[in-house]
Amino acid sequence: MKKFLVLLLAFVAVLAMAKVKIQFWHAMGGWRIEVIQNMVNDFMKLNPDIEVEVQYVGSYEEILAKTVAAVKAGTPPHVVQLNEISTQKMIDSGVIVPVQDFIDKDPSFDVGLFLPQVLNYYRVGGKLYSMPWNTSTPLLYYNKTLFKEVGLDPNNPPTTFSELIEACRKLVKKDERGNIVRTGITWPLYSWFFEQYMALQNQPLVDNNNGRTGKATKVVFNNEAGLRFFELWDKLTKEGLMINTKRADWTAARQLFISQTVGMLISSTSDVALLMSESKKQGFELGTAFLPLPDGVQRGGVVIGGGSLWIIQQKNKAEVEAAWKLVKYLAEPGPQIVWHKATGYYPIRVDAIHALQVQGYYAENPHHLTALLQLLTSVQNYNTQGAIIGAFPEVRDAIESAAEKMISGALTPKQALSEAEKNANKAIKEYF
Amino acid sequence: MRKLLPYLLLLPTFIVIVLFIYFPAYESFVNSFMRVSVFGNRKIFVGFRNYISLFQDPDYLSAFRFTVIYTLITVVVSIFLSFFLALLLDQKVPGSRIYRTLIFAPYAVSYAIAGALWGFLLNPVVGHVNYLSRILFGVQTNWLTSRPYAAYALIFASVWKTLPFNVIFYLAALQDIPSELVEASIIDGANAWYRTWKLIFPLVSPITFYLVIMSIISATFHSFAIIDVMNKGGPGGYTTNLIYKLYMDGFRFQRMGLAAAQNVILFAMMVIVTFIYFRYAQQRVHYQ
Repeated sequence: MKKFLVLLLAFVAVLAMAKVKIQFWHAMGGWRIEVIQNMVNDFMKLNPDIEVEVQYVGSYEEILAKTVAAVKAGTPPHVVQLNEISTQKMIDSGVIVPVQDFIDKDPSFDVGLFLPQVLNYYRVGGKLYSMPWNTSTPLLYYNKTLFKEVGLDPNNPPTTFSELIEACRKLVKKDERGNIVRTGITWPLYSWFFEQYMALQNQPLVDNNNGRTGKATKVVFNNEAGLRFFELWDKLTKEGLMINTKRADWTAARQLFISQTVGMLISSTSDVALLMSESKKQGFELGTAFLPLPDGVQRGGVVIGGGSLWIIQQKNKAEVEAAWKLVKYLAEPGPQIVWHKATGYYPIRVDAIHALQVQGYYAENPHHLTALLQLLTSVQNYNTQGAIIGAFPEVRDAIESAAEKMISGALTPKQALSEAEKNANKAIKEYF
Repeated sequence: MRKLLPYLLLLPTFIVIVLFIYFPAYESFVNSFMRVSVFGNRKIFVGFRNYISLFQDPDYLSAFRFTVIYTLITVVVSIFLSFFLALLLDQKVPGSRIYRTLIFAPYAVSYAIAGALWGFLLNPVVGHVNYLSRILFGVQTNWLTSRPYAAYALIFASVWKTLPFNVIFYLAALQDIPSELVEASIIDGANAWYRTWKLIFPLVSPITFYLVIMSIISATFHSFAIIDVMNKGGPGGYTTNLIYKLYMDGFRFQRMGLAAAQNVILFAMMVIVTFIYFRYAQQRVHYQ
């Protein structure tokens, strides 16, 4: 009997020591693959009973497609990083475990320490379905050295559309044949900037309070506010003051700015760290500023973008618990600060921001402060909380397609906006 | 036993085909009559609604139109250019082996890499093509983001990629032509033009036919990677063809029912092409 007990004990001990293996998929390429791997390694040191397999799966679009395929095949990953616009789709999916379920049971986790701007985006119907993680907003980057060269005040970046156009005109440089060799501005051809400009003018993107008080039934961007941004885009392009990239080509936009082919760039705050080091290498002084507003329009605010961590349902409950531990760890102040410093994505917790501030970090890194202030000074309402749409990828496609047709001269800004509205509404109606 | 053995030997292949071809084909046929949720856990039977909405969708019709134009131009240009190049490479000139190697090189490159290469070369700001054209002619073109240049760039890259395959086949066919025939035609006084089109071209017609079919398939299906890498079907859906549209609906927007319907349509088109191939390959084409 005694022997049996010992054996049983040994067996239980072995079982307890057996590692829980979970998979973590993310969409952060480049140098960030290593940053994430190191963060996860630290997690595994703290939790020797959990083994995390980290995989970089590709872009946000690819990671969603592969998650869908893995779930259908019955081998879903445990933790998946998806972009902000997948939120409604995942809530509707029925294959996830809302992180709210864990937060309610776990007294060691204080969600109140998160920035309300971030929570407001990811909370739907008062419930947090995924863990906010990499968070960014757009920011205006400008080349102070070029500003000085063309006689613009490097400490007074454009704040309105007319100032922006003026600055672009001054930045244009032509060669002896009259070809433009340097121009004003670029931003990636991406619907996100259009959405931001709706929120900046304190306007919703879709009805039912941006889909926050009821499911969105149609888009509401075909108005003055939407037209102002499209007209600016059209004007800058037609006058040769802007270089357009192909769709979602963030790298091209960054390269244009780094190579000093354009004097200004609107891109994500997640580029701050990269652009700081690249501008140093290229020998120009970097400036950052809030996004310029249309003339005479009151400022609303920016909407956060980026991604969050989703926990997918599993057969083995122990694996789900391990997944929660990982998600919780990645949202802690320590990892958040590491992540912020390596990339420029916001630290999304009050205590993390406080710790950085006490260290004197923001005095040394004014560009990170610009980014943070732009978010913190945003008006908080449904318009700046961001839209919740099931068919968000299709809505983005509709806007980008229309913008492409506009800048290639096939449509006027007004026609482009109407076409975007028509296609977006069709997609929202067909969403299932 | 003697009757059983052949079937037994066919069985492994059959299992693989059923698992990886027939079953998925059946699935997508069924799904094409369904509305499928993102994760495939909810399905509603909708009859022919997916097909109807596809043919009412101006984007799908424009993708259809672009597929036809793109395929037609790519195939015709690629076939004639490769025949011409093969004729040149068949000449016994010094260094012809080097030329052959250089011309075959793109064959070793995958479609995605070919797209990336041309994407770099045609980059409006730092690309070599614009750099040269700026110096030589003082013009700059947005090759990938403006009409109609996006389509030109795409067709050019596709022809560049498919050319070597066609050249290899033509070269092999040219070398198979009995020299007596060519000599006889020379003795009969046929000039080079006449000889090329009335003798050599008909003699390689089986290869031409095969290459046309292969090029159609390649332009319809394999073009996906080049499009995705070079201009993502833009600007504004201008260079979106059927296979890219299918990818967008199926994998970007997770509308599996709609994508399945597009799949069935493409399948039907392939059936027609294959049917023509088997039906006419024996009849119209001159075999020796």
